[in-house]
Amino acid sequence: MAQEITGKDGVKRYLITLNVNGDAHSVLVKGNAILTNVLREQLDLTGTKKGCELGDCGSCTVLLDGRPVDSCLVLAVEADGREITTIEGVAANGRLDAIQESMINHAAVQCGYCTPGMVLSAKALLTRNPNPSEQEVREAISGNLCRCTGYVHIVEAVMATAQGRVTPDDH
Amino acid sequence: MYVPDFEYHAPKSVAEACTLLAELGERATVLAGGTDVLHKMKVGKLAPEHLVSLKNLDELREIREEPGRVVIGALASHNQIYTSQLLQRRYLSIPMAAHTMASNQICNLGTVGGNIVNGVPSADLPPILIALNASIHLQSANGDRSMPLEDFFHGAAQTRIEPGEILTEISIPDQATTGSTYLKFGLRRSGALAVAAAAVSVQVAGDTLYGVRIVLASAAPTVLRVAGAERSLVGRRIDDQLLEEAGYLAEQASSPRDSIRGSAEYRRNLVGVLTKRALRKAIDEGHA
Amino acid sequence: MSDNHKVIGRSVPRIDGPEKVTGAAKYTGDLKFPNMLYGKILTSPHAHARIVSIDTSEAERLPGVKAVITHKDVPALKYGLSPARWDESIFCSDKVRFVGDKVAAVACLDEDTCYKALKLIKVEYEVLPAVLDFLHAMDEGQPQVHEEYARNINTEIHQEFGDVEKALAEAHHVRTDTFVGQRTYQSPIEPHSAISMWDKEKLTIYSSTQSPHYFQHYIAREFDMPMGDVRIIKPYLGGGFGGKLEPTGLEFAGAVLAKLTGRPVRTFYDRAEMFAHNRGRHAQYMEITTGVDKNGKILAAKANFIMDGGAYTSLGIASAYYAGALLPLTYEFDNYQFDMFRVYTNLPACGAQRGHGAPQPKYAFESHLDNVAADLGIDPMDIRIINARRPNTVTPNDFRVNSCKIKECLERVRVMSGWDEKKKNLPLGRGIGVATGSFVTGAGYPIYRTDLPHAAAFIKVCEDGTAATLYTGSVDIGQGSDTVLCQMAAEAMGYRYEQMKIVAADTEITPLDFGAYASRQTYMSGAAVKQAGEEVKRQVLEMASAMLGLPADDLECADGRIFSKSRDGKSLSFEEVARKHFVLRGPLLGRGSYTPPKLGGNFKGAAVGTSPAYSFGAQVGEVAIDEETGEISVVGIWDVHDCGKVINPRLLHGQVHGALYMGMGEAVWEEVIFDDKGRIKNPELANYRLLTAVDMPPITSEVVDSYEPTGPWGVKEVGEGATNPTLGMFSNAIFDAMGVRVNSLPLSYEKVWRALKEKREREEYARRQASARREEAQLETGAATLYANPI
Repeated sequence: MAQEITGKDGVKRYLITLNVNGDAHSVLVKGNAILTNVLREQLDLTGTKKGCELGDCGSCTVLLDGRPVDSCLVLAVEADGREITTIEGVAANGRLDAIQESMINHAAVQCGYCTPGMVLSAKALLTRNPNPSEQEVREAISGNLCRCTGYVHIVEAVMATAQGRVTPDDH
Repeated sequence: MYVPDFEYHAPKSVAEACTLLAELGERATVLAGGTDVLHKMKVGKLAPEHLVSLKNLDELREIREEPGRVVIGALASHNQIYTSQLLQRRYLSIPMAAHTMASNQICNLGTVGGNIVNGVPSADLPPILIALNASIHLQSANGDRSMPLEDFFHGAAQTRIEPGEILTEISIPDQATTGSTYLKFGLRRSGALAVAAAAVSVQVAGDTLYGVRIVLASAAPTVLRVAGAERSLVGRRIDDQLLEEAGYLAEQASSPRDSIRGSAEYRRNLVGVLTKRALRKAIDEGHA
Repeated sequence: MSDNHKVIGRSVPRIDGPEKVTGAAKYTGDLKFPNMLYGKILTSPHAHARIVSIDTSEAERLPGVKAVITHKDVPALKYGLSPARWDESIFCSDKVRFVGDKVAAVACLDEDTCYKALKLIKVEYEVLPAVLDFLHAMDEGQPQVHEEYARNINTEIHQEFGDVEKALAEAHHVRTDTFVGQRTYQSPIEPHSAISMWDKEKLTIYSSTQSPHYFQHYIAREFDMPMGDVRIIKPYLGGGFGGKLEPTGLEFAGAVLAKLTGRPVRTFYDRAEMFAHNRGRHAQYMEITTGVDKNGKILAAKANFIMDGGAYTSLGIASAYYAGALLPLTYEFDNYQFDMFRVYTNLPACGAQRGHGAPQPKYAFESHLDNVAADLGIDPMDIRIINARRPNTVTPNDFRVNSCKIKECLERVRVMSGWDEKKKNLPLGRGIGVATGSFVTGAGYPIYRTDLPHAAAFIKVCEDGTAATLYTGSVDIGQGSDTVLCQMAAEAMGYRYEQMKIVAADTEITPLDFGAYASRQTYMSGAAVKQAGEEVKRQVLEMASAMLGLPADDLECADGRIFSKSRDGKSLSFEEVARKHFVLRGPLLGRGSYTPPKLGGNFKGAAVGTSPAYSFGAQVGEVAIDEETGEISVVGIWDVHDCGKVINPRLLHGQVHGALYMGMGEAVWEEVIFDDKGRIKNPELANYRLLTAVDMPPITSEVVDSYEPTGPWGVKEVGEGATNPTLGMFSNAIFDAMGVRVNSLPLSYEKVWRALKEKREREEYARRQASARREEAQLETGAATLYANPI
């Protein structure tokens, strides 16, 4: 259990450890602090977006122990001690992941607001299932709403990544 | 949006959780996956003084086979159910129902226990579990009790859980059913609440129906078993006319209301269509 | 036209791609400033109510609250976007006019405290009867939304071109249909936010805006400041679609809160507040009459519309004019009448949503045209080809159309979709429909009256020539304008895209541009960028001429190399020439600007709908319908567009996909639903039914070879026009599948089911009547026989 600390304001806070992208962060949060907000406001990891705050849009998707979840529906205290991957943790040492390359090359990015969540959902799918069908790709990203692309190029980009072609022919 | 202040607790064991809940009574809300509770808190429909998290109770996440039954821990997530090989082998209709529930992200968080205790008539798992004659186990500081899941729901979004009680597991008895399925009609193909839904289980031998359970979701103030439609089928030879009539009886027994998802009239029509189609699917495809 | 372009016409990767896929891209709500406060706006819970009193004292006492403001603390000057009707205030003082109207605001140390403080502001209301049904807003005895606008009429339009009555009288067939559209909302995934801060008398606002310039203009006006003291910066923007075109309470209240506290203030909407602020698509009642000759050629058309404007004007006057102005584009006819009332209601204000004003009228007209075709027994594709507009024509309302390949689009989509085969062979329950669309390539006139150019740009080449930065006031809201404009700059300079940088959408650094609306940037901003690039190139060639000792007109610059056109081997790199230029002649800069020519006729409202060029497109969609439930499965959609020269094919098709996605949602799924108190019942993305990846059908998008003579390299728009055919296309595909027409949007499963049920009941009734008549006839015959043959 996280250490409880009661401030002079009488508010109880919790000293928790968030393991984010391989780094252990000790942060002090109120019980009602939402994981999205703690990542954004306290750790400055603003790649995790706020779109609806109700689990409808998936912009706040992070991987919690490898599985995509809407971080807007997770209390930070509930994530104490767990492994979190945010979009900032997908590219390694400045090298883009194949799914990121593919998203760029297929023009699967428009406004980019859904993109971090989309990349994480796709990444989790490809880790679990390296050869998904188109339907499996669509299902895996169906919790990530995109208002710009009609999902056409996004689905193409994920399928192409699975097939090892991150650059389309017309590129 | 913001979540109103509360006192947070994360007991280490079911017993500790029960003691805590007994102490806090109605001032406490249990937090499992959070997809319903936090949603309600954010939109201002719930503001408990205490939130009792079950996150440490790993023993409630297990899905296992025991003599005479299959047990699903109340904290099993929808995706855990969807990907459970045991459930896929024994009752594929349960994983398939879990899969229709919501987006991948929500299915990784939400739990079967939460889906049941939330009590709403549009919940996706209770109908198929009731169709498979599931019972539930509740634990509290005063002891524990079991009841058929069917008896758990009553009135508009009301359940029989008492303050201080925790739903710990769902149990599906071994049975003679030959097929079961859950058909949901939503207005999108993902992340949509049911406009109407029907779960059925059937016991078929030759061309005759010997046993049948029909359970409707989003068709009445609470999840609804339709005994009249069931009776009309038992011992009868299967044909399209028979299933059509059962659908009609289910439709008659339903009492949906007008909502943003559809008028009462439309939703009643869907009940009939879904019941008929679910019966046909369970008869033809087994547990699917 | 030469097509040896090195940079344009290629699907280069987006310039902002790496930042966006790594999460590094900062949107307004991601920015933080030292000492920053959080601000939120208190809104009305009533659709229509008089404000009796406001007590902020309790909120002010809450720890962490730094400022609470109401109408007493802000300028009283009314604002709006359409200058003819400024009717909105920063905060309501006398009464509130919709659920969500702005009443007060707070600035606090953190977000949670804002929500708590809002609850502590006590507003006493006297609830008034509300106008919620726009079809009755003009009736006698209805409450007045604004006292100064009688019968709740916000805009009234009566236009007639040619002689409509005469043409209808002479027509072979005249038909009238009525349709009703729904309210939809843009629903960008990024919520609106703004960060306001002051440095003495200078105001800086970072905002999720589609137009820094209009924000600058209207904010300066509201606070009575020189424009030069207002700086608007657009960081990355998460989609707009029309919803972020005008300043909101976030900027106005945020600026006042920042001034009072002396600290930066971040104000923001959550999702439900976005729905309440709205400015989405107007709901419209649309009555259409056309007269055709026996071949289906349209002789005259009449459009009689009423539009639900909501509580304020926003950009709604333009929406009202657009609704009728764009109707005569895709088909040629000389006689046209357009009547419109835009009315006030006690609902959120509507504004410009992708396709501004046009998609619903197009739905009505395209559905109506299929009905006419059915009356005459003409194939829907043929009636469109018969009426298709030709290039170099003028519409009855005086729009000059230069390039126009609508006929080729129709012919191509006919083949691509397998139209003729499907039309013959599809079974009941499967259907195929076609519709056309067209849109402006930028508005011919600005939103407020000014003689400023519409776009300007400059290019600064780095002193060693290894990079060039494009400075433009244009706004990338996701559509990819930063990328496309860098391609255009590089092409014009003879440079490489990969070495381009861009600074955009900051009123203090970048030159004027009206921003992202009316599908204007590739053409208008592009024209300015092309001119700037050409100025750089001219200087580079002059410098190279001196360096090589060759005449400048013998030199060419492409792909970063300067070479002689006449002799081999003589060449220089762009970098060395640019560096030399810097050393000898000073900074290498290019400048450009664009002003459209005078466009349009001389009647009232003639300006709306004018544009230097128009895009055209045709769509076919195939649907499968579940007769028992009305569920619509989309089998496929085919789109063919005439959008002039294509700068970046992948980005262009992405625009078509996105426009189609939005149109598809509006056609069948999306709707803002209100209860009987004027409250939105579904202010969430799931219940509003934004479609997911599993809902989308296969989409095939193609372009026809096209060149717009007035545009830079021949470009035209694509981003909005592709929304226009989609609603009508769905209506027609459903009609084809089931033989029933749903006359209101959205064409929901339930409406389709109900239409089928009513059709079955009609048929059943007709059958019964027929058999009753038969029996009667038999009885009579029997009786007659009886009488004739007495036993």
